[in-house]
Amino acid sequence: MSLNKQELFDKLAASIVDMDEDLTIELSNQVIAEGIDAYEAIVNGLTVGMNQAGKLFDEEEYFVPELLMCSDAMYSGLNILKPHIKINSHETKRKAVIGVIEGDTHDIGKNLVKIMLETGGYDIVDLGRDVSPTTFVERAKEEQAEFIFISTLMTTTMEGMNEVVEILVEEKIREDYKVLIGGGPVSQSYADKIGADGYAENAAEAVKLANNIVAAYGNEL
Amino acid sequence: MNDLTPKERIIRSLNKESVDRAPVICPGGMMNSAIVDVMNKTGHTLPDGHHDSQLMAEIANDVQENTGFENFGIPFCMTVEAEVLGSEINYGTLACEPKIQKEVFPSVKEVLYQDLGAMAKNKRVNAIIEATYQLSKEYSDIPVFGSITGPLSTAASLVDPIPFLKELRKNPAEAHRVVDYATNHIIELAKLMVEGGASVITIADPTATGEILGPAMFDEYAVRYLNKIIDAIHETNTPVIVHICGKMNAVRKFVPAIKSDAISTDSSISLRKLKEDYPELTTMGNLSTYLLEFGEAEKVAKQTEKLKLDGIDIIAPACGLSTSTPLANITAMTNRVKGA
Repeated sequence: MSLNKQELFDKLAASIVDMDEDLTIELSNQVIAEGIDAYEAIVNGLTVGMNQAGKLFDEEEYFVPELLMCSDAMYSGLNILKPHIKINSHETKRKAVIGVIEGDTHDIGKNLVKIMLETGGYDIVDLGRDVSPTTFVERAKEEQAEFIFISTLMTTTMEGMNEVVEILVEEKIREDYKVLIGGGPVSQSYADKIGADGYAENAAEAVKLANNIVAAYGNEL
Repeated sequence: MNDLTPKERIIRSLNKESVDRAPVICPGGMMNSAIVDVMNKTGHTLPDGHHDSQLMAEIANDVQENTGFENFGIPFCMTVEAEVLGSEINYGTLACEPKIQKEVFPSVKEVLYQDLGAMAKNKRVNAIIEATYQLSKEYSDIPVFGSITGPLSTAASLVDPIPFLKELRKNPAEAHRVVDYATNHIIELAKLMVEGGASVITIADPTATGEILGPAMFDEYAVRYLNKIIDAIHETNTPVIVHICGKMNAVRKFVPAIKSDAISTDSSISLRKLKEDYPELTTMGNLSTYLLEFGEAEKVAKQTEKLKLDGIDIIAPACGLSTSTPLANITAMTNRVKGA
């Protein structure tokens, strides 16, 4: 049984790397039919596959279309497995809000970061695109998020990221959130300049950055 | 040789003929140069200037006079193509450029195809063509750059980009049909610009980067349709510049396959090295827009000098200028190119 289970998880992972959504669905249904733990299948199958896809993306073997197709397969599997997760069978997730700053409607990068963060075990609230600095802060408060992820592709809208930080400072809640930024024109030096907590160059790096912050701050976050 | 007009200088540069010095230009479109500093000074402002040909021409002329860029660059956005083909546009504000508010189609399978001729019927296209005509007649020594949005960026402004990017792989037949459709309309826009008096056409296609598409799809979609546009514009004896966004690692080898008369790149690329690898290329760029926005004028001048020493053929900002770029930094750049 245990070998069988591992084999099934490996196949699940491979179906995601191979962008074979139909196979992912078939295998996820098999997990349920055979009474295998859904949470284990997510962690040891779907997540492993998506992480491999993320690695291939990082290594420039896969590009955005491939990564998006892998994520479609993963979400299809997740939709099948999620309702079968036994309550309390996993730890609480770190919560984050993510969005594209006001004035910008380019959301490819933001969507990739969201996918990889969800794969990495974060609970992500997607605020969408063209989001005002005030909305970022208000929604972060409402959701009791620990992270605020802000993305932009346009130099013209970068200043909005600074405004988010300024609002947090003004409201004396700056310490309550980790503000992480990314996107085409953004850089580490810009993150330093506006006092953000970090900058990530791509989706895979964003997860590493968030994990590093969690490791460094732990429950103080 | 010392009395080249700006138009002669850029045309000679694009023809690989000798020039007294590199031209310094900013193409418009994605690389819009209508900065807030200039508009506040002259009172000719956006967003109204996106629609009114007179105002558009005035802003283009204000920019050229105040910045020292040796061209007129219009339009000031990259949304007109998608507007004509059906997407919803938000025209922005004085400081914020227009953007696609909503892509009109959820999938390449659901695109409603319009007949050719749609560009010529659009009001904003006509404003652009009239402004081109006015500027080219009134200032015959200064080139008008007609800026167009590339085929993949236009297609991804019609179809929601997330499904679109997947469909490039999943449904190549239908994806090709949409990109080819965008290409044919873009060609019509470029030809209208040339008829109106544009001396140079520049294409920016920020969705078509190596980072997004990877080498195989860059070749299959970007190179193919960019070249289709370039060939059509070359038939009118007009030179074409292509700007490629991003770090280019994955697609560098395809650069010589792009048939444009010059290649412009982002600031992370060493144009000197690109020239070493592909000596036949005419290079344009690539002063950091981050430096232009946040740096000191002195540093801008120094960096410009480096581009001159590297023998870059046409000096220009590396990417879209922020509208809040200080005018003094731009003049530091243009003055240094001109030797002041």
